[in-house]
Amino acid sequence: MELTVNGKPATIDGKEVLDIVTLLAELKVEQPDYVTVELNGEILDREAFSSTTVKGGDSVEFLYFMGGGR
Amino acid sequence: MGTNTLRLETLLIHGGTEPGPGGATTVPIVQSSSFAHATAEDLEDIFRGRKVGQVYTRVGNPTTESLEKRLALLEGGIAAIATASGMAAITTAVMTIVRSGDEILSSSSLFGGTFSLFRDTLANYGIASRFVDPTDIEAVKAAVNERTRLIFVETIGNPKMDVPDIEAIRKVARAAGVPLMVDATVTTPYLARARELGADIVIHSTSKFINGTGSSIGGAIVDLGSFDWGNAKFPHFEPFVKKYRNFAFTARARKLIHKDFGACAAPMNSFLLSEGIETLALRMERHCSNALQLAQFLHDHPKSAWVNYPGLADSPYHEVAKRQYGGRFGAVLTFGLGSKENAFRFINGVLLAKNLANIGDAKTLVIHPASTICADYGPQEKELMGVTEDMVRVAVGIEAIDDIMEDFAQALEKV
Repeated sequence: MELTVNGKPATIDGKEVLDIVTLLAELKVEQPDYVTVELNGEILDREAFSSTTVKGGDSVEFLYFMGGGR
Repeated sequence: MGTNTLRLETLLIHGGTEPGPGGATTVPIVQSSSFAHATAEDLEDIFRGRKVGQVYTRVGNPTTESLEKRLALLEGGIAAIATASGMAAITTAVMTIVRSGDEILSSSSLFGGTFSLFRDTLANYGIASRFVDPTDIEAVKAAVNERTRLIFVETIGNPKMDVPDIEAIRKVARAAGVPLMVDATVTTPYLARARELGADIVIHSTSKFINGTGSSIGGAIVDLGSFDWGNAKFPHFEPFVKKYRNFAFTARARKLIHKDFGACAAPMNSFLLSEGIETLALRMERHCSNALQLAQFLHDHPKSAWVNYPGLADSPYHEVAKRQYGGRFGAVLTFGLGSKENAFRFINGVLLAKNLANIGDAKTLVIHPASTICADYGPQEKELMGVTEDMVRVAVGIEAIDDIMEDFAQALEKV
């Protein structure tokens, strides 16, 4: 599956569809307890991570309020 | 073992910790102002919040981050911010919530520094505070108005030693649609975890019992994630709610107030405070047991006019304290000697106890609040804060209780 992650192309082998919790693990996203996930421009509720799925062509953004420049 | 199954005593030692370089079992002190990154793209991603990374110690530091994770876990919170001092924690947390024209509904029984911040400093920026007896729930309800944006209480009022019914105050806060901020410095997570108390935001002066040895100044804000910031009373939270959902408070604090005011924790202090966390349970057990014995000793002593300690059965706050704090009552007490002169004679007479402005040290500390930490307040304000001219405040240490009592007995002979 081809996705756009934080504005860059990303490939996840062998998967056609997967939920956000699995996606965070597949992409080894840091600090998954604190990350905000935006799917095709919509911010997701944390409670919806396990029930929301991504498919080829989707655009995903990960956002942090901690660390970094702010 | 998952941290959510561990008991508090174990969580204090293992919770939120990670192996350090080379297998180090204490958190490394990362004494660096800034952090270099390989590429311009990396730093851009961090600044845009797309990637986790350190940039500058004012906004984040690995040693401080480790302390923040431990504190959040201890309170059952979703995130924590460590600050330069307890007052920095209160200032940062309050300024994250209120704006000019808003009001704070605060307990009248407050630490002097907090009282001064609310009454004087914030008033200069258009933020008014109403002070109310926190043990009079009807008075608390009656003091809420359309401008109220925050209710603030201490778990045990310092130095008044009164104990508000926090669950009852939480109900008032919920009905008013405003968050409840609780300063839990004197109780610590060992006596009561903030999540169980019903606070939305918890404040600690970590300089006190969390540090435990009087070696460093620090503060902490713990976000319980329990308040709905999407509430129409908080339009300034809208972009943060939209983007960060239940992290809205911590996100607004980190991205604006904490970053802009700059009252950051020093990495060395974060290390010392982390060390303190590990022995908190043992120390609090001894602090509380010593305080109860000393309170009883003073209660029975002919030279002492009165003793105020929620652990004494004749304290009007005994029952609520017992229910909220698991049968422990903290390590701060006050007692009266009839006059300022007698209080001074006692303080000048102690040999072991130190005469200084602090609480939560391993050492027993005494002070005359009316002439020191509360000297700037008039008679009416002193009465509100429970401060009398004959009052001595004691922060009971963890020495052998017989030595503390012998020291007090010989000093009382001089009164």
